[in-house]
Amino acid sequence: MREGVPVILLLIALTSLCDTINQLFLKSAIDSLQFSATLNPIKIIKFIFQLIIRPRLWLGFVFSLISLGIWLVVLSKADLNFAFSADSMHYIFIALACRFVLKEKMGPRRWAGTGLIVIGIVLVSLS
Amino acid sequence: MNKKNVTLKVLLLLIVSDILETTVHFLFKKSTLSAGPMQVTDLASALAFFKVVILSPFLWFGLFTVVTVFILWSLILSKIDLSVAVPIASFSYILVPLISIMGLHEKISAARWMGVFLILAGVILVSLSSKEKSGLAK
Repeated sequence: MREGVPVILLLIALTSLCDTINQLFLKSAIDSLQFSATLNPIKIIKFIFQLIIRPRLWLGFVFSLISLGIWLVVLSKADLNFAFSADSMHYIFIALACRFVLKEKMGPRRWAGTGLIVIGIVLVSLS
Repeated sequence: MNKKNVTLKVLLLLIVSDILETTVHFLFKKSTLSAGPMQVTDLASALAFFKVVILSPFLWFGLFTVVTVFILWSLILSKIDLSVAVPIASFSYILVPLISIMGLHEKISAARWMGVFLILAGVILVSLSSKEKSGLAK
């Protein structure tokens, strides 16, 4: 954190955004499979297999890899604590993406809880 | 799709996945430490950095754990909303300070612990939000 905090924050925003896109592709791939909850290992293996042959999952993986690459650079420049703290913007990206892209029903408790988490993480980062 | 609320089973999966996720970050940090005080300023130094990191066994343990987390996370997402799963997974913010103290010898202030408690409150609220929804549906 000796130098370039704005640069690090920008890199973290990029890695968060890439990860959010990855999660959106993953969730949409899973929803398209209509897998019903079970602990049967054969059904779970079948589910994972069907999942990994979805093209959109691999599209998500590309974003995930970009995210990992940037993340490794961030970690080499900053404390694990600082890096994680600034990563709180991830929760805002996810909440907005869930609401507007996946059309999940976000109740007041979910918004409030997400907000508390973000404030908590910012507090962690400022200290 | 009527049982989207967070059950004990899903919560347990989330906690296991969270602990593994934390392990991943710890291993990745360890792998970057093997690069020493290397400064990444341009493309050439970035390539040199990745060359060192890719040889670190910590990176490969980390990647193996990533696959495990992926399977667990897929199972979780097949049961609950993404906007519930992701905030609950912020539980790792409580695990990361602990691991940073024990494994990486970083210092945690009192204010940081305050933040941790706020996060915990948020996680509880979000967990309850899925129950609230299924309650309304009935």
